[in-house]
Amino acid sequence: MRQKQNATGWLFLVPAIILICGFSIYPMISALITSFKTGTGTNMTFTGLTNYIRCFKDDVFIQSLKNCFFYLIIQVPVMLILALALASILNNPKIKARGFFRTAIFLPCATSLVAYAIIFRSLFATDGFINTIAVKLGILDSAYNFLANPLSAKIVIIIALVWRWTGYNMVFYLAGLQNIEYSVYEAAKIDGASAIQTFFKITVPLLKPTILMTAIMSTNGTLQLFDESMNLTHGGPGNASITMSHYIYNMSFKGVPNFGYTSAMSFIILIMVAILALVQMKVGDDRE
Amino acid sequence: MKKRTKIIALLMATIVGSSLLAGCGAGTDTKSSKSDSSSDTEKADSADKTSSDGDDQTLTVWAWDQSFNIYAMKEAEKIYQKDHPDFKLNIVETPWDDMQTQLGTIVGSGNYSQLPDICLMQDFAFQKYVTTYPDLYQDITDSGIDFSKFAESKLAASTIDGKNYGVPFDNGAEVACYRTDILDQAGYTLDDLTDIDWNKFIEIGTDVYEKTGYSLLSVQAGSSDLIYQMMQSAGFGTWKDDGTPDIAGNEHIKQCIEIYQEMVEAHVLAVVNSWDEYVATFTSGKTAGVINGCWILASIQTAEDQSGNWGLTDMPAIPDAETATNYSNQGGSTWAITTNCKNTELAEDFLAKTFAGSVELYDTILPSSGALATWLPASESEVYSEPQEFFGGQAIYKQISDFASKTPTVDLGVYYTEANQALATAVANVSGGSDIDSELKTAQDTVEFNMGQ
Repeated sequence: MRQKQNATGWLFLVPAIILICGFSIYPMISALITSFKTGTGTNMTFTGLTNYIRCFKDDVFIQSLKNCFFYLIIQVPVMLILALALASILNNPKIKARGFFRTAIFLPCATSLVAYAIIFRSLFATDGFINTIAVKLGILDSAYNFLANPLSAKIVIIIALVWRWTGYNMVFYLAGLQNIEYSVYEAAKIDGASAIQTFFKITVPLLKPTILMTAIMSTNGTLQLFDESMNLTHGGPGNASITMSHYIYNMSFKGVPNFGYTSAMSFIILIMVAILALVQMKVGDDRE
Repeated sequence: MKKRTKIIALLMATIVGSSLLAGCGAGTDTKSSKSDSSSDTEKADSADKTSSDGDDQTLTVWAWDQSFNIYAMKEAEKIYQKDHPDFKLNIVETPWDDMQTQLGTIVGSGNYSQLPDICLMQDFAFQKYVTTYPDLYQDITDSGIDFSKFAESKLAASTIDGKNYGVPFDNGAEVACYRTDILDQAGYTLDDLTDIDWNKFIEIGTDVYEKTGYSLLSVQAGSSDLIYQMMQSAGFGTWKDDGTPDIAGNEHIKQCIEIYQEMVEAHVLAVVNSWDEYVATFTSGKTAGVINGCWILASIQTAEDQSGNWGLTDMPAIPDAETATNYSNQGGSTWAITTNCKNTELAEDFLAKTFAGSVELYDTILPSSGALATWLPASESEVYSEPQEFFGGQAIYKQISDFASKTPTVDLGVYYTEANQALATAVANVSGGSDIDSELKTAQDTVEFNMGQ
């Protein structure tokens, strides 16, 4: 009887397993094999680890790696802190029209990645909205070409990312906050804790698992950033704002294709994401 | 209560189930949905099924511009149908960027049946596709198409190791167009800008900018196309004879980048961020001129309110260069027959009787799309000498054909895209204040790195 039940259980899992193997596991293994080959287009031969060694000699890849870490180090903390602050403000039952504000802040992440990147591009164009307003208000003397300067191009990407993803992370925090008993806050209030003390002593520690999860997701997302680099700055000026995924795309489809090398670069991203996630989990682990 | 939960569960299951099904179907649907723009969906599907059938009279074609090459293909279809009433084309609009990813994935996966029968190819990428994907295009040297009737410099793009892989289509002869009304305000005429060199161009441009506030020229940031156009006008390339990149310490490239920089600093050249902004600079009247391949005429003529205010002439030459000319080239494309085509004879005959054999076709497509033929007999047609109202009554197509015949040939090489991108990065960095020599060295290293395995 027991065995029969088990068999039925497995039977229900079979379609999902077949789909996952066919569309996820098989391509991954195939890509791994490709990453040990080299050659142009379809003329590929096995060369072992040369592609992986090649990555670290590639100046543009190193540049794209640096860019990704620049986005990671600046954008992720800014976004998560902002999301946390917004979540704890909007969790306050005294605020009116909370639902409206929550929706408004969450809404950006319902927009298409390509569409929002193109809109930010036109906002920050030389004759775009930001420049026009800044010149009219006298903040700038003449229009500034944000996308032509390496640093300002990166900052535009960061602003765009913060706009797009803050609401998304805020929703996780809001959900986490629902699990914190209001009585805990009441007790703190009676003991005379200030708002800031409650935030750091109660909200943050109790939200730790959620914070950890959002940090891992954002790290993962930032290292695989593609649409913003592709559509907002076109990787420019020069290669100043190009991301790793964008560079991989360029190498695969723009120039003479070398799929072995590009697969190897993809696996390097995978390894980095795995290592960073592991570090974050270790750091966030309370058990001694 | 319990009943309600059940209903909701059922609903959810249906939604999930149907979305899964839809997801599965999407893969096969893409082809038909894409061809919506060309003709009706049913036709596309039937063509898809039968393209492996030897007797079928339908060919699938990939091209990317509704008003230009797709239009030309449709006209060619009409002409061929006169003698072959059963003949049909299934034209699928495939933007160039998409085509590159699609060709890469199709050939990479070995699933050749997804290829069209005839595919339009950018000239600068032709060599790359033939060498990196040897099974992609058919050798049509012995197909009976008379290749001697095409301009030699154009034919070079689709000829690899002496074999012909394509039927040349449009020409990218370089044109310089100027707003004659703005030049007039500054006291210049079109003649002042004809047969000049870049020094003279900068001199006039500076004056025009001071008097009218218009830049003479605009360019898209992060692109090295203008540098390439300048180089080709004097027959300079970016490759040594042995196929290695010739970028570091190349005095010609350096000179062109210096001219570029000088123009930017003098406000003669306006740098904008995207292609749309670039087109807007001349259509919305911010710059007084355009220098690019002649396919840009289609974009210029969208500004109907400026009709009659434009004039066309040749581009400036590189100063102090012995081989300097006022003629260059940017872009252009070629038709190729893929190995998936099961009815090669039909495809060859179709191309031979239309793009390589019909004056009538070129007479039809030239006035309405500006597609300048590279098939020499067509340029003797009378349509070419007709005055164009938009350009103040100039017979521009005759002029452009003349430019095309004088353009120096330059080998763009298999690694053109890599060199182009590396140079674009160099130009962007030089504009940001870097030293030209060290940037060219970096560009050389990048290209050499990309060529290595």
